[in-house]
This record gives sequence, C-alpha cells and structure tokens, in this order.
Amino acid sequence: MTPAPGLACARVRVLLEPYVDGDLAVTDPALAVAVRDHLAGCADCRRQHDQAVSVPFRLKALAAPAAPASLVGDVMSAIVPQRQGYRRAWTLLAPEAVLAAFILWYLSGLDGLSAIASGIVGDLQGLAGWSSGTGRLPSVPQVDVLLVIALIALAAIAAYHLWVLIQIAPASRRAASE
Amino acid sequence: MSDAPRPHPLRRWSWVILIGALTLAGILLSIADTSTKFTGPLPGVMLGGKTVVISPKPGRTQTMQFDRSRLGEKMVLQPILGLGPLSPYEALRAFLTNGAGLVLLALAALVLFPSRARTAVERLESRYSAGIALGAGLAVVLLAAAAITLLRFTLLFLAVVPLVLLVALVAALFGIACISLAIGRLLHRRLHLPSAHPLVAALAGALVVFDLAVIPYAGVFALAAVALVGLGLAVVTRFGGSGGWSFGDLNW
Repeated sequence: MTPAPGLACARVRVLLEPYVDGDLAVTDPALAVAVRDHLAGCADCRRQHDQAVSVPFRLKALAAPAAPASLVGDVMSAIVPQRQGYRRAWTLLAPEAVLAAFILWYLSGLDGLSAIASGIVGDLQGLAGWSSGTGRLPSVPQVDVLLVIALIALAAIAAYHLWVLIQIAPASRRAASE
Repeated sequence: MSDAPRPHPLRRWSWVILIGALTLAGILLSIADTSTKFTGPLPGVMLGGKTVVISPKPGRTQTMQFDRSRLGEKMVLQPILGLGPLSPYEALRAFLTNGAGLVLLALAALVLFPSRARTAVERLESRYSAGIALGAGLAVVLLAAAAITLLRFTLLFLAVVPLVLLVALVAALFGIACISLAIGRLLHRRLHLPSAHPLVAALAGALVVFDLAVIPYAGVFALAAVALVGLGLAVVTRFGGSGGWSFGDLNW
C-alpha cells in the first residue's frame, strides 16, 4: 500500500473518529500513520484528538440523577397484580349500594332528594338576600347524626373507590414514552 | 405502470356522506322521540318538547316569544303506526338547537385543550378503560351527591354547592368532547375512511352522541351513560393532565 501524502487539517478532523476508535488502523494503516504524523505537528488537531479521546471518560464521570424518594414504593405498587385492583373495585360497589339505599330510604326516596335540592336553592337565595341586606340569614335544618355518618361513610367509600379505579386505569401511551 | 386499484370516486366524500347520514338519522330519531308519549326522567331534557320547560310544577308553560312564523303549528303530520302526531319542524328545531349546542361545546373543548383531550382519548382507547371510566363516573356522582347533601346542612359551606355542580358539569362536558373524538377516530379506523381534520372526526362523533340521546325511550339513559363515562374519564385522567393524580408533592 503506497504511503499517503501530508494531510490537511480538514481531512484529519474528518478521520479523527475512526482513528480514535481504531478502525482506521485496520482499514488503511498508511492513512492512520499519516494522521498520527499530522497530529504530532499540528496543535489544533491534537487538541481535537485529545477531546475526542476524553469523551468516554467524560461520559463515565457524569453523575447519575438522584432517584426520587417514592421510587421503591412506585415500583412495588406497579407490580401488584392488576386482578386485585379489579376485584377491589367491584367489591366496593356493595357497601356503596347499601349506604345509598339506606340514605334514600331515610330521605323518603326521590321526594326527599328534591326537597333537599329545593332547600339548597332557597337557602342560597336567602344567603344572597342577607348579604345584600334585604333578607334574614336562613336557618340551617336539624339533621340526624345517623344520616350524617352515613353520608360521610358514603363519601369516603366513593372517594376510595375512585382512587382504586384511578390506580388500575391504563396510563397514556404518550406519558409512558416521555 | 402501476397496477394498484384506483380508489372509489366517492371515497373522498366519505366523511361528508357519513356526517350527512348521521344528521339525517338524528332528525328522524328526533321526529320519533317527539311523537312518543314517554315521560320518563327529565321529560324534554334533550328536545325541549313544544313549549314546556323543565319545572318543578309540570303544569306551567312558557310563552313562545321567539317564534313569529309559528311554522311548527302548521307543519304537523297525522299519526303513523300509532306514533304521533309527527312534527318534522319540531325535530329539525331540536336538532339545530340541542344538537348544534352539543357539537359546539365538544369542538370548543377540543380546540381549547387539544393536548389534554389527546391524553384523555389515548387512555380511553386502552383496554377496559371505558368500563373503568363508567365506574369512576358512578363513584363521582355518589361522592358529589353525598358531599352536596352534607353541605346542605351547613350555612358556611352552602355557597360551595353551585361550584361543585359547575365543576361536575364542566368535567362531564370535557369528557363528552373526548368521547366524541374517540368515536370519530373509531369510525375512521373501522370504516377505513380517508384522513380528515381531527375536528371533522369529532363532529361525526358528537353527532353519534346526539343520535344516541334522541333514541325514543332509551335516549335519556344512553345520554346518562355517556355523561357518566365522560365525567369518569375527566376525573380519572385529571382533565387529561400528563401527570395524572399523584401525592408526591405532599410528601416532602
């Protein structure tokens, strides 16, 4: 193989990557020798060579991002079998139905619900009138503690049911890829 | 020279034909719905009836202040097969008001929040997501009803009740907009329609929702199911937010 003539800096910089990787010495040893000789006499190209060689070392020196505190918990919750979530979501319907039926019975069915709705509208109008100085402050009706406990229990179970459904819902493909 | 078969000349008009067919179906279903004597829950909620508005006192009517031509009273057909009297004018008016309103709201939500709508629709198109959204909608309705009833017995937080109802309404409308887009995309895939603007697909989907809502006897239940799925979808996806629900910010 004939020896390559003196190389220009532009040519050497193009050949730097295969030279650093060792591929140039395998495919064209004469050209690799020419690149080596050019680097010995050119400070700019030598600086480029030093930077190219140092890239793997600089990559290793990069610090890995700190893991979030919830990483272990998130991974463990992600491997919980999906079937448990579905089963829990179905079984929560039972206490919800029982509480809703009890509350409906206590309020005398739909008539009671419509009475509550009309009461809310009336009290809101009374509040508006009181704030504008044209009416009296509406009075709050007395409520049985048993009903209040049932309503709080229904709200809590419904909120937990909603949370279970949010957990088992599939994630967005775009969020997973980001 | 290519041997690929040429596309059918009507294929470029596929979306127009589909939307036209859905519109015609909506008007025909509206005619049938207005001619039935079914007075189930919320009578007239979708079509408004003739001049009756929803009121706690069923006997009250509203005077017609915006109908000078009174064409609806003149264009009434005799009963057919026990259904009637038929009023195509009433059905067209119902379609142009309620149907156009539904389409307008759905498209507005998609235009205002395209990224959130895309995230929500992607999750809706996943397996079992429709059932999960329906369950979540039921849970939200129970939660909201219990919360509103509790707030009824307080004076300080009574003013929060309209806000709760407003948030639920906005969530349901956003969810229905996402369902419209999902239905449009489903029609695009299943019917092998040519590519079209996403809002065209959403328009077709919204017309499907309206057609479901005006099915005689079952329409109100279909609309309730769609609203529940929409409400559940909005809550599960946090209005299509990319982060979803997380309590990580509370743990520091």
